[in-house]
Amino acid sequence: MKTLVLGLGNPILSDDSVGFRVVQGLKAEFSRHDLTLMESSAAGLGLLDLITGYDRVIIIDAIKTEGGQAGKIYRLNAENLSNTRHYASPHDINLATALELGKKLGIALPRQIIIFAIEVVDVTNFSEKCTPEVEKAIPLAVSMIAEELSGD
Amino acid sequence: MKRIVIDPFTRLEGHGRIDIFLDDAGDVANAYLRVPELRGFEKFCEGRPVEELPRITPRICGVCPSAHHMASTKAVDAVFHVDPPPVAKKVRELYYCAHMCHSHIAHFYALAAPDFVLGPTSDPAQRNILGLIAKVGVDIGLQVIKTRSDAQYIQEVIGGKATHSVCGLPGGVSKAITEEERADFEDKAKSMVEFGKFSLKLFNDVVLSNKEYVDIILGDIYFMTSYYMGMVDANNKVNFYDGDIRVVDPEGKELVKFKVADYLDIIAEHTEPWTYLKFPFLKKIGWKGLVDGMDSGVYRVAPLARLNTADGMATPLAQAEYERMYSTLGGKPAHHTLANHWARLIELQYAAERLLELCQDKEITDPNVRTLPTATPTEGVGVVEAPRGTLFHHYQTDANGMVEKVNLIVATGNNNAAMCISIKKAAQGLIKAGKVVNEGILNMIEMAYRAYDPCIACATHSLPGQMPLEVVIYDKEGKELDRLSQYIS
Repeated sequence: MKTLVLGLGNPILSDDSVGFRVVQGLKAEFSRHDLTLMESSAAGLGLLDLITGYDRVIIIDAIKTEGGQAGKIYRLNAENLSNTRHYASPHDINLATALELGKKLGIALPRQIIIFAIEVVDVTNFSEKCTPEVEKAIPLAVSMIAEELSGD
Repeated sequence: MKRIVIDPFTRLEGHGRIDIFLDDAGDVANAYLRVPELRGFEKFCEGRPVEELPRITPRICGVCPSAHHMASTKAVDAVFHVDPPPVAKKVRELYYCAHMCHSHIAHFYALAAPDFVLGPTSDPAQRNILGLIAKVGVDIGLQVIKTRSDAQYIQEVIGGKATHSVCGLPGGVSKAITEEERADFEDKAKSMVEFGKFSLKLFNDVVLSNKEYVDIILGDIYFMTSYYMGMVDANNKVNFYDGDIRVVDPEGKELVKFKVADYLDIIAEHTEPWTYLKFPFLKKIGWKGLVDGMDSGVYRVAPLARLNTADGMATPLAQAEYERMYSTLGGKPAHHTLANHWARLIELQYAAERLLELCQDKEITDPNVRTLPTATPTEGVGVVEAPRGTLFHHYQTDANGMVEKVNLIVATGNNNAAMCISIKKAAQGLIKAGKVVNEGILNMIEMAYRAYDPCIACATHSLPGQMPLEVVIYDKEGKELDRLSQYIS
């Protein structure tokens, strides 16, 4: 199964870099011909370009929920997306809309989309470091995704 | 006094918001756009080698990284006192024209067109790119995706990476364009020119042929007089990559034309306690508050401002459309904020034509793409026209080229005062005597600032987030009376 593991976020904005950091962790563990590991700050139509042609996509990104516990990892699927305002850009469309658009236009979209979202604290200060609780979640997320992939 | 809050939630923490204050009669007294701030960007840059800034500044946000990359690269040229060889400037401009095509296509088809193709007061669940495609057809949808991807691809090949480019170096670019790449780009540029024509025809058929829409564009609620700013070439034609900055007054007369390095002589920034985003204004005229007109130093940037500022477009198809737009709108400058969408498509046509010219330039594959810097680095200013307006980068370094100071004025910052005024005018025209705000009115207020294609993320160094809106209406005592929202599920 041709799989894309995609870490989203901003690598210099504290906890928003968590998606990048998890993918970097996975890069140290995995090298498989059917697996692409990628970091990106794309959104909307840009994401559509990136995920086209894969059978499965695993997205890793930061999330902030009301009263959420820092470092908590959520495993979501594409159906959950329509209920989130995540993955959006003021200049673009959100991922749910992008996926629906792709479907409508007959673009070869992944059959399976899994999202690992990590509850974050600080996304307003520029820094190359995550906050401590989020930092601790990184190896955990790496092993969760490694397990997801080991089932192949 | 009643207060209406339009609250756009973002992807994560931190969001902009529109506050509308009603007077006792229920009419709009004031409207403010309030935005949050991300902290520590300047500090993050300090102490780093200045040549790294073209790779760091695009990370402020993911919306127009290529504009930051180019403004930053030009600022770094200036810091090192180095003049890139002609071919390097052409390669950068080629890359940048591809970026303008890419960005303008996304804005028009994903955000602007649904208002006009489906109607400004249509159901928000339909008023998006999906509804648009349901109306205009799948083939057009596929063409939008393909053309946008082609423009992205050209940036990726030259820039070295899909979104956050790494090609800009002090004195030039990192690699030359090969003949094979050039031929491929030329094919793509040709189809982009056709797509530009198609988009203008669509605008003509769908928007300009519909009296209701033309009335909205020309109506009072989206009308505002102001100064305009934009970059022009030696012939005073619109240029996105290089030139001097020209400012015209509300009657279209040139107020000043200046070298980018002199921007601090022309622009000052006003601050207000209720927002982190500063209000740049023209020093010569002065800050008179959030008011429009000849006596107020408020100026506007972005597509309509660029066309108002220039004497024309440097390519034939875009020039013909430029003339047609001003004759339809009743002369120049045009003060109809929604005409930004038309101007944006004329710019798409220009960017595509200029892209093709550069692809066909005999010199474009010249391998001499870099002048090595030899002078001691000091200070420099770099400016480009970002898709949403003039973008200033200003750096100071020590003698080793380590960053000491960074100052950015971004497009949405330039338009800050104008956006507040436009929102207020739209609100005044649409909310009268306390009439309850409905969904359609909410969108029509949002259209006033969507025309500027604002990037709150970038202006505040904040995060990309969709623009869901929430309106909360309060009575005199601050008690919530009603709540309406869109794009919030």
